[in-house]
Amino acid sequence: MLDNNMKVTDAKKRYSAGVLKYAQMGYWEPDYQPKDTDIIALFRITPQDGVDEVEAAAAVAGESSTATWTVVWTDRLTACEKYRAKAYRVDPVPNSPGEFFAYIAYDLDLFEPGSIANLTASIIGNVFGFKPLKALRLEDMRLPVAYVKTFQGPATGIVVERERLNCYGRPLLGATVKPKLGLSGRNYGRVVYEALKGGLDFTKDDENINSQPFMHWRDRFLYCMEAVNRACAATGEVKGTYLNVTAGTMEEMYERAEFAKALGSTIVMIDLVIGYTAIQSMAKWARKNDMILHLHRAGHSTYTRQRTHGVSFRVIAKWMRLAGVDHLHAGTVVGKLEGDPATTKGYYDIFREEYNPMALENGIFFDQDWASLNKMMPVASGGIHAGQMHQLLTYLGEDVVLQFGGGTIGHPHGIEAGATANRVALEAMVFARNAGRDIWNEGEDILRDAARTCTPLKQALDVWKDVTFNYASTDAPDFAPTPEVSA
Amino acid sequence: MRLRQGQFSFLPDLTDDDIRVQAQYAIDNGWAVSVEFTDDPHPRNTYWEMWGHPMFDNPDAAAVVYEVNECRKAHGGKYIRVMAFDASHGWESIRMSFIVNRPKEEPGFRLVRQESAGRLVRYTVESYATRDPEGARYA
Amino acid sequence: MTDEPTALEEKASPSLPQSVDLAAAFEESGVRDVLKELDDTMIGLAPVKQRIRETAALLLVDQARRQLGLATETPTLHMSFTGNPGTGKTTVALKMADLLHRLGYVRKGHLVTVTRDDLVGQYIGHTAPKTKEVLKKAMGGVLFIDEAYYLYRPENERDYGQEAIEILLQVMENNRDDLVVILAGYADRMDRFFESNPGFRSRIAHHIEFPDYTNEELLKIAEIMLSEQNYAFDPAARVAMAEYIASRRGQQHFANARSIRNALDRARLRQANRLFNEAAGPLDAAALSAIAETDIRASRVFRGGLDTDRKPAREAAE
Repeated sequence: MLDNNMKVTDAKKRYSAGVLKYAQMGYWEPDYQPKDTDIIALFRITPQDGVDEVEAAAAVAGESSTATWTVVWTDRLTACEKYRAKAYRVDPVPNSPGEFFAYIAYDLDLFEPGSIANLTASIIGNVFGFKPLKALRLEDMRLPVAYVKTFQGPATGIVVERERLNCYGRPLLGATVKPKLGLSGRNYGRVVYEALKGGLDFTKDDENINSQPFMHWRDRFLYCMEAVNRACAATGEVKGTYLNVTAGTMEEMYERAEFAKALGSTIVMIDLVIGYTAIQSMAKWARKNDMILHLHRAGHSTYTRQRTHGVSFRVIAKWMRLAGVDHLHAGTVVGKLEGDPATTKGYYDIFREEYNPMALENGIFFDQDWASLNKMMPVASGGIHAGQMHQLLTYLGEDVVLQFGGGTIGHPHGIEAGATANRVALEAMVFARNAGRDIWNEGEDILRDAARTCTPLKQALDVWKDVTFNYASTDAPDFAPTPEVSA
Repeated sequence: MRLRQGQFSFLPDLTDDDIRVQAQYAIDNGWAVSVEFTDDPHPRNTYWEMWGHPMFDNPDAAAVVYEVNECRKAHGGKYIRVMAFDASHGWESIRMSFIVNRPKEEPGFRLVRQESAGRLVRYTVESYATRDPEGARYA
Repeated sequence: MTDEPTALEEKASPSLPQSVDLAAAFEESGVRDVLKELDDTMIGLAPVKQRIRETAALLLVDQARRQLGLATETPTLHMSFTGNPGTGKTTVALKMADLLHRLGYVRKGHLVTVTRDDLVGQYIGHTAPKTKEVLKKAMGGVLFIDEAYYLYRPENERDYGQEAIEILLQVMENNRDDLVVILAGYADRMDRFFESNPGFRSRIAHHIEFPDYTNEELLKIAEIMLSEQNYAFDPAARVAMAEYIASRRGQQHFANARSIRNALDRARLRQANRLFNEAAGPLDAAALSAIAETDIRASRVFRGGLDTDRKPAREAAE
């Protein structure tokens, strides 16, 4: 009788026709030491009742690499030991019975260089529908430097974006034009002009603003660029508006992007739903055309939000840094959308650091060297307003775009007043932080003081003073700040 | 108009003490602080004139205020800004930038449109001040 | 000081504190610690210590007066330290910087030590940037200009030192909040310097004279210097050292504590040589630490002086 969790080393037994356990086939190697060049994936697995966690982990390793449900003799024509993914560690998830963290190492040769599509086709290809598992979630990945270096990375990056915008030392300010749908191109441009003139750096198309009957894309681009240039002359600042070039085909996206370029836009925008390959193509285009590339993470919550199944957003963030976008939405902590502070910090670190040390309390399971890939600018949007400026600056830091859509356009005295309120609040808060004040505790005083010389800010603080979004998070880290994890 | 470049242009003009406190923040972060001036505040005029090199070795920001005031003596009618340079790997660029001196009158910018085929418009932003030759701007 | 309370009651405005506790301020500011350190670590210098205590008291009171709204101007704190080489001027300047920092008169409390060469350039247009660089480095702390009188060379009317002097005076006046300048050097030359440069005289509020150390003080300094390096005189060596000090004082380039440090450096060298040549077996810690009489008596000082010393220039410069 063969041991279920032991690799079968006798070649005759291993390759005789029939069904072996995945562990027996060699997808479970508890003694395996991952190589520096291995890609490592951490999955949260929830096996069906009665399925052993080691076998489940081995099955995930197998199904995401070389295995199929039965033994095939053609394996013996290959260096199959190398190509087999190896589950090498399985830990129970703290406080979550029935869930396990499975560490799986993949040889670098399993992947095509510079292709997110190829990477994901393996790692999240078939395996997520695998019957012996109730649920499966890709929590984190360690991307070796050798693999990272096969990607372009963010087309522009935080540093050069700031240089192009001539904007330093403070978060950037943006707003999404509202209402999301229905404005004509001419009316839409009015919102852009008012907001930029009032003090924002950017305005933004929403994810579903493409080319609809009420406003076709060329109209939007023309009116928006008139607004951007008028605001630029009115303030002496470089301004931008994220022109969403998302379309049904690559050809149409390129056409829209080229038109944006011809109009002198500094930035274009795409949606996550266009797919990884399209995103990489647009990143190459952006690098070639000196364009900042904004990515809206439309659709991600369908697979990132639930704790037990799907793909964690931190993994999406890593893939997008490889793929080469410059901006990506990453949560606000204090706004209306999902994101607890510790997990969100993990995302921001993945966006902005050169090196991420393991930080279980932030959901980061591996040391990750970014090998000098550019940094991505996180975008915080959704239900935030000027009255939260001290919290936003504390949680999110300086290299972030703060997008106040409703918080600009919903200002009782108009869009320009709303924009000015946000900008004054921001500058006052950065000034106070630099001057050594405790903005977390004195934030409200700082805002009130700033409002003395800025009526729009006073009005904003009065209108939104009680707006908060305090709901329990569905995706908090599994580890407390001082975790005890067996090494 | 009021030129809105820099990180504090929506706040009241900074006092010398404000400048000192902000520059000290830069110094305490290990950044070199420099003073620059211009009479051409076009948003894409990257290279303002340097008032000396960035100050790499001054532990106290009084040195920055001193140079700002020296620069004001020579170029008080122009724009002067303070910048902080971060030499650390992965940044190696500017970390702070704020205006500390403005001309009395800020005439602003003219937007020039050049219409072209298919409703395409090419835009140019031109500083009114630069209609006068260098050195003769802002009185 | 005793007059203060009555004056306070009359003048203090409601928003200001009604009284101050000088003893508490003395403790909290850490001034007490600095003065104690000064007392503990520096031998002799009684008049210097007294002057520093007085200065500290003045500044504490000034601080208190400002808290109560009785004073608003930053007092002039520039100083002159006069005395012969090796009398502790630089060391005391370090302590002074610390003291001023703790009292809040300078923001950083570092000491920048310079001489003429650091301030004055060799070409036209060279001096002003050089002087300004030094001043900017010293801002937030104390600028110590050693042998300051060399800045002024009346024999050469085109000397660039004059340019440095003008910038110095300007900054000493306009940036009193930003730095404190200490001019140091021999007393007589400094007097002549002040006579020809009244601008400096009027901007210097505190003059501190550093007396020469007595022979007994220098012997004590020698013992402390040795013990800091885990060495000690044996009894005969101690007697020899006392004689050495007495003779050395009368010879050329005598520089108080600095001459002692140099003598001890040479004594350690001779000790090492002696141990190397004489030792037959293993040496214990005591043998390795003991300075013997011969290590001292081998000095040329006992043979009439340092005329043949190869390092006179180094000793002459303070």
